[in-house]
Amino acid sequence: MTTHVVAPRTWPLRFAASDAGAQTASVLVGLVLWQLLGMGVERIPVPSEVLSFFWEELTSGVLFAAFYNTLDGFTIGLAIALVVGIALGIAIGLSDLVRAFCNDIVLVGLAVPGVIWALLAILWYGFSWKAPVAAVALTATPFIAVNVAQGVKATSRDLIRMSRSFGVPMHKRIRHLVLPSVMDYVFAGFRFAVIMGWNAVLLAEWFGGRDGVGYQTRTFYDSNDFTGFVSWVVFFIVFIVLLDRLVLERVARRTFRWRAQPAEGGGH
Amino acid sequence: MSDVALGSHVGGHRLTVSRRWRRAGLVVAGWVAFLGFWTFASHNLVNPFILPTPATVAEEMADIVTSGELFEHFQWSLMKTLAGFALAVAIGLPIGFLMGRSRWWRAFFHMPVTVAGNIPGITYAVMALVIFGIALEGPILAVALISMPYIAINVAAGLDGIDRGLEKMSHVFRRSGRQIARHVLVPTVIPFVFAGVRLSFALAWKVEAITEVFGSSNGVGYMIRQSYDRFSVAGILAWMFFFVFFILLMERFVLQPAEKRLFRWRPKEATA
Repeated sequence: MTTHVVAPRTWPLRFAASDAGAQTASVLVGLVLWQLLGMGVERIPVPSEVLSFFWEELTSGVLFAAFYNTLDGFTIGLAIALVVGIALGIAIGLSDLVRAFCNDIVLVGLAVPGVIWALLAILWYGFSWKAPVAAVALTATPFIAVNVAQGVKATSRDLIRMSRSFGVPMHKRIRHLVLPSVMDYVFAGFRFAVIMGWNAVLLAEWFGGRDGVGYQTRTFYDSNDFTGFVSWVVFFIVFIVLLDRLVLERVARRTFRWRAQPAEGGGH
Repeated sequence: MSDVALGSHVGGHRLTVSRRWRRAGLVVAGWVAFLGFWTFASHNLVNPFILPTPATVAEEMADIVTSGELFEHFQWSLMKTLAGFALAVAIGLPIGFLMGRSRWWRAFFHMPVTVAGNIPGITYAVMALVIFGIALEGPILAVALISMPYIAINVAAGLDGIDRGLEKMSHVFRRSGRQIARHVLVPTVIPFVFAGVRLSFALAWKVEAITEVFGSSNGVGYMIRQSYDRFSVAGILAWMFFFVFFILLMERFVLQPAEKRLFRWRPKEATA
């Protein structure tokens, strides 16, 4: 065997071998690949072009206005989905009757892609602000309902039985027993609903909006301006990734820090 | 703990015979109520253009079946989805392998893989549109990109849970690297590749349709787009039901049985 001379692990080497080093390398490789792709494929702009386009849209105020309009419909739709989804989920989880009645319909709702809700919402509401709201609400509600129903089912049977035999009224049972224990399921469902809802709102704006991020993206696509088009796509991806990583994940960690282990929520 | 679960299961079995009929009756009642409300709404609450009656949608569905459109376009979509999965396995398997075997590669791929699995489907649809325009490759690429992270993550998790003792023993008995790969690694990993496909199936099928809505000349998504362009709510609903039935049938009759078979060797979980 040859003897390896073990080099003293100096800072750059130690960094390169660490997790942070791997993450940095990953970002760099990604940027280089993008740069190469942009130089190879005519329709794809390189990172620097997207960055300068970003600055342009930011300073002209277009970026802010578009995101403001989109987030308006997005949050209203999500709020509706949250209220309806939690109510429906608790009802399905608590009552066999409601479950037998609604379970299939909710399952069908889960399988309907956002694009169908978006197209239907446009045909139903025309080019009004209601279309994106309806698209988000219809797409997101089943995800929240299913997760909440799962959480209710996971609530301790013994506690439910005990509170029943002690004559605790229904509304108190829901308030003090069911709601606290389903919160992490609500959150898991909500996080997924945010991603699905973002998809739906963009689709609704793409096909039938008058303003907003989806509409902007579409306009650049229609005018064959691929720098603008790809840049707007990058904007909406970066937005949802930042929202998910920086906001939702942190809130989840904070909310459930009393737990020994973070709950792994059911996906779709 | 498991005794209790077992006991309640056995006890519950006798009960369920009559209960099952009650349940089935309720499910049927649920659908009847749903269709009844739908019919009522389309006659009285809104005009039938906005919400066609179930009968109109059923007629539309019958037309789609008898004209042969159903078979033709499902065939296209299914073919593109399968090609996409093949590509996803080809990319996801090596990535998952690296992630499962090395801490550095796990950190390297962690962010790209989680991001790729968590961004909205429209992204892949428009990406495919930019790169390929209106072509067959678009949906294939979209399916590959959306399901690749699920395969990679599952393979990595599968390798993580591999029996280290078994691997060490193989080394002790001087099995070659190839033999270990063939008899230890591959059998462990295959079910997890499948689990990745199964987890991402519904998502991939949806993204495939979105991509076809944006730009295609065949497939289910293309037909949905055609209905939209004709302002036909009945057409969209008809294709939507076919689309959803297909997902539910695949889940129940293909994916779940196959998963049960592939994970047969696992001890049963003790959850009720």
